[in-house]
Amino acid sequence: MSQTTSSTYISRPRPGETTWLWLIKIVSGPLLLVVLVLHFTVNHYLGSLSSGLMTYDDIIRYFQNPIIPAIEILFLITVVTHSLIGLRGIVLDMNPSRQVLRAVTWLLSLLGVASVIYGIWLALTIASKGA
Amino acid sequence: MDNTQNKPSARKFLTWFNPIGRQTGSWAFILNRITALGLTFYLFLHLIILGRLAQGPDAYDSFLLLTENPFIKLGELAVVAAAILHGLNGIRIVLTSFGVGVTRQKQLFYGFMAIAAVTILFFATRMYVG
Amino acid sequence: MADKWNITLRVYRQKENETPHFDDFKMEVNPDEYVLDAVERAWAFHDRSICFRHACHHSTCGACGMRVNSVEKLTCITLIRDVTRDGAVLKVEPLRNFQVVSDLAVDMTPFYRKMEAVEARAVLPVTEAEIETPASSWDADDALYIRLSDCIECGLCISACPVAATTPEYLGPAPLAAVQDQGLKRKPELLAVVDCEDGVWRCHSAFECTAVCPSFVDPGRRIMNLRTQVVGMRLRKLFGKA
Repeated sequence: MSQTTSSTYISRPRPGETTWLWLIKIVSGPLLLVVLVLHFTVNHYLGSLSSGLMTYDDIIRYFQNPIIPAIEILFLITVVTHSLIGLRGIVLDMNPSRQVLRAVTWLLSLLGVASVIYGIWLALTIASKGA
Repeated sequence: MDNTQNKPSARKFLTWFNPIGRQTGSWAFILNRITALGLTFYLFLHLIILGRLAQGPDAYDSFLLLTENPFIKLGELAVVAAAILHGLNGIRIVLTSFGVGVTRQKQLFYGFMAIAAVTILFFATRMYVG
Repeated sequence: MADKWNITLRVYRQKENETPHFDDFKMEVNPDEYVLDAVERAWAFHDRSICFRHACHHSTCGACGMRVNSVEKLTCITLIRDVTRDGAVLKVEPLRNFQVVSDLAVDMTPFYRKMEAVEARAVLPVTEAEIETPASSWDADDALYIRLSDCIECGLCISACPVAATTPEYLGPAPLAAVQDQGLKRKPELLAVVDCEDGVWRCHSAFECTAVCPSFVDPGRRIMNLRTQVVGMRLRKLFGKA
């Protein structure tokens, strides 16, 4: 019978999760909820389609107010961070090997940075179309 | 078959979602995990779709017509519902994590879920009745 | 005249290298007896090879934890009346997340090791116990008196915890509660043990531990409290005030 020598783990704690990661997730959550309400109201209420959604023209007009791309970018950064830290947490619960965890961490970080860059580019492109 | 199958194992991840023999807090946990996965998937789908905005009005507005499709509409409502459920359940986790209402977490859960139900109903009415 | 119920006790059976199966034992019970009484009766009158752990029969030793109709229970204090009805099945299974040694008996070694590693207190001064006595009513001498710790190390919380099902290294509710019980201020060396991958952050607030704990430990609340202790210490360290 192979016994889990948990004392080994305890004397050398595995560093896969930290206070800071958790704090970022727990603080970005409520922040996200606030920005989401803004995002939601605007996109499902103020648009000219009968469903409340915004058409292309609505969006271009809307993005002329510089506070809007700023809010959307803030929303993007918090939502991407929160969701990817959360996703990593779920992967962590599947008890991956050190190598897999490291790979997942890198992959998700890369995905996060790429999506934020892409989102900022998109927001700025939309804003510039109305100029 | 050996006797080790009752031991913890990563392969048992599906047991997270099994509500049998579980109580209120687990239902919240299950709900949070499912909505988390759904919302993360939607987030990236959403980002990709919005890329059409860069391609000009025709590309975007023709795509927007899809939202009149009842199935897509149902999907949209599911996303709205997931965001509300995950968000309000998340507030419960934030509160209890900092010691607020920790001995009343069940009541907190039911309270937030009641608010969620009302909000989802509001959005559903808005989307389907106009 | 006491009630008599006819129940079917359905017992999980698994000896070494056997595929698990269930054996049914029909028996007459008094619904105000405990689940452990029914298991003992099956052993005494039906099948002497049923293996299960039990000792004190009054919720102090923590040996008789099992899953009763899929829910973790300390069987010596669980009334048959509360978990089944006349003519119905009473299913008993070993705790989850531990290796089965034989039938209902599981190997608790990994759990006990964790409790030892976090230096869980078996006894504590009455003045530090979470009992309904206002702090002002204690005097200095009272600190000499000790009482048993609330945690009886029955392992029900580990069995019920969804995260413990997938990660054997996760400290789990009772060991984390034992760290909270001691306090990180008093035991700063335990900070690294709980602020890591297998510590407090892995709890996802399912509160199953609290729901099944037979002994008022309320591990869920203690884990949440431990989190604020950890965050406080980390922030103080960050700002150089530790």
